[in-house]
Amino acid sequence: MKLNYTTALAAGILSAGIAAPALAQEVLKLPNMSYRTGPFAATGTPHMNGQLDYMTMLNERDGGIGGVRIVFEECETGYNTEKGVECYEKLKSEGALVTQPWSTGITLQVLPRTNVDEIPMFAPGYGFSAMQDGRTFKWAFNPPTSYWDGASMIMQGISDGNLDSLNGKKIAFLHLDHPYGKEPLPLFETLAETHGFQFLPIPVGLTEMQNQSAQWLQIRRERPDFVIMWGWGAMNAGAITEAVKTRYPMEQFVSVWWGAHEPDLKLVGEGAKGYRAISWNFVDSESKLMQDVKTHVIDAGKSQLNQGAGEFDTTAYQRGILMSVILAEAVEAAQEEAGTPMITQEQLRKGLESVNIDEARLAELGAEEMMAPFAMSCSNHTGHASAWMIEWDGEKFVKVSDLLTADRAVIDPMVEKASADYAAANQPWQMNDDCAE
Amino acid sequence: MFYRVAGQYKTSYQADYALFPVKQDALLLALILVVAFVVFPLTASDFMFRALLIPVLIYALAALGLNILTGYAGQLSLGTGAFMGVGAYACYKLVTIFPELNIIVAIALSGFFSAAVGVAFGLPSLRIKGFYLAIATLAAQFFLVWLFQKWAWLYNYNASGAIQVPNTQMFGVTVTGARASAMSQYFVVLSVVCIVTFLAINITRGRIGRTWKAVRDMDIAAELVGINLMKAKLSAFFVSSYIVGIAGALFVFLWRGAAEADLFDIQLSFRVLFIAIIGGLGSILGNYLGALLIVALPVIIGTVPALFGLPISSAMVEHLNTMIIGALIIGFLIVEPHGLARFWAVIREKLIIWPFPH
Repeated sequence: MKLNYTTALAAGILSAGIAAPALAQEVLKLPNMSYRTGPFAATGTPHMNGQLDYMTMLNERDGGIGGVRIVFEECETGYNTEKGVECYEKLKSEGALVTQPWSTGITLQVLPRTNVDEIPMFAPGYGFSAMQDGRTFKWAFNPPTSYWDGASMIMQGISDGNLDSLNGKKIAFLHLDHPYGKEPLPLFETLAETHGFQFLPIPVGLTEMQNQSAQWLQIRRERPDFVIMWGWGAMNAGAITEAVKTRYPMEQFVSVWWGAHEPDLKLVGEGAKGYRAISWNFVDSESKLMQDVKTHVIDAGKSQLNQGAGEFDTTAYQRGILMSVILAEAVEAAQEEAGTPMITQEQLRKGLESVNIDEARLAELGAEEMMAPFAMSCSNHTGHASAWMIEWDGEKFVKVSDLLTADRAVIDPMVEKASADYAAANQPWQMNDDCAE
Repeated sequence: MFYRVAGQYKTSYQADYALFPVKQDALLLALILVVAFVVFPLTASDFMFRALLIPVLIYALAALGLNILTGYAGQLSLGTGAFMGVGAYACYKLVTIFPELNIIVAIALSGFFSAAVGVAFGLPSLRIKGFYLAIATLAAQFFLVWLFQKWAWLYNYNASGAIQVPNTQMFGVTVTGARASAMSQYFVVLSVVCIVTFLAINITRGRIGRTWKAVRDMDIAAELVGINLMKAKLSAFFVSSYIVGIAGALFVFLWRGAAEADLFDIQLSFRVLFIAIIGGLGSILGNYLGALLIVALPVIIGTVPALFGLPISSAMVEHLNTMIIGALIIGFLIVEPHGLARFWAVIREKLIIWPFPH
């Protein structure tokens, strides 16, 4: 006694599957798993806009990359891992050249599949820190810098380069209780052990993002010398407002790059003066790169960006632009190497490995002040770009440090161990033995 | 005409109480099974397997588990998501501690862990009823998810706090992990779901199911006719949590591939509860219909604009989707408050007398 319904629906699904139009047009499919809905949309949307607008600009200005137009399709996940599976399968079936998972949870699901499906995964500034090891993670890339790099740079930033000066101090780590927020924990714990500071993780659950009174009560009681924040979406605004309310000294409050989000800080304005974040990018709205985007996309009315709210001048939007810059560089490198503008997934992987954004290239792009130069290779899938400590002056972010560089001597052995563990847990795991080093 | 029952004489009690007293029902089921076991594997793409078929089956199984507790035994539960989590984490620990263990055995065993937890949290049902019991199971929901986060042993001290499914093989075919093909996973899920459904139908039709229904309809009366309430209620919790636990293990191992504790939060419990309510409480078929509506329809609707080449942004599709599904749910509940299973029953009645209504 079962469903007439199923059959009817099944027939519908079947016909839908068959009727899906196969586009024979020559395009580069570089899809993105966006989240413009849900609790993380506030920080997600400007990044997505930035990524999309740069690709649109390339289509408008240069007719794509190497003469082939880019299709930068978005698949909405709402930061939901379940939608992530659906989007991944959908984009894969459409012949995506790259996966941009945009959530550490989805990254975890997709990462083991990269070796099987052979689609490069591009996770700029997020994902697994151990992905830097190109020998183990043949198909995964997280340029320009990883979370462990970021954590190491923050520690240098707050100690003026001498981590031993933190001896005996207390550092609270306010983080989202999610794979993303837990990612830098091992590094902080190692550093705490070597340099003798007290490390205090304070998790914020997904349901408590907007009301962190319990966490800040704990911070008030513990009186840490620094609070380091690893937050996302609604959590950042919640933490900043709460910090202002409890009068926590802003000079001691430092965030990872995702916390450098102007709209969150504008809520409190002057009150957040002195708040710092490590950031691998910096706003330069007058740069040639940004002006090109403005002329070809925004003024032409082809952007979804919220102009009234000044989104163009935010760190997040311009970071999105730079993410697409890196990907476009990889596509260009791949085309050059392959000798044809129509590249395959494997060629794009090679392209990502030969991305080299040096000073000269940055100048050519017109983005000298916007990010630090870096290069990837077969064994180095992160590139380890340096980053600035930027500070909120009440209206905007200003650079308050020279370029900081992560401490490789601490991170690399940890990466080696983490990637070996990963490969062991995912047997049989294909290593890339072609890498020279 | 198509559903004529005339001429199908029952000559024994056995025939009258058979699983399919009407021949057409058996034919229809056979047809569906042929579609599920033969037609889909021959035609479906990876997308269809992983985005539609596998999740529908798994959610239907979870709803089936809940339906036994809520629909048959009348004990309201809001802890389904957490019980699924118990199954998933138990399966993960079993597979990592005993790598040689066959995955099906591991999944079947992991059900017992969630059944034990379910019975423990079902104990309050002996004293409290209705909404109060729902609150007690809500405590299970929050406590267990908290435990999944804090008890690092459960996820083998993984730095990200997530569990990741290793590649495991069965008869030389990889069925879990990244290397498994969608089709092999589909077959495993389908087989497990078919077996559990078959058992569930028979349990609910038999003596145990009847005691559950008696307890549901009026527990004092049931006690007066000699039903042991404690046994009935706890056995309902046991069977329900067992099935839910299996569904949880399948959910992570044969579909998601990785999971963090947040996956099993209250949203998942609500989702399963909605499937059970919209499908129809106290029915087996309803779980499948409900899962189709709640899980598959959004995916199908999401692909429609692209099919017609409509230039709608993906975020807009998502918004529209939420609105359409919401409207459909309200619509169905107004037209048929007893769920889709009842809806189908009405259609079947009509078909039987069609084209000559009295």
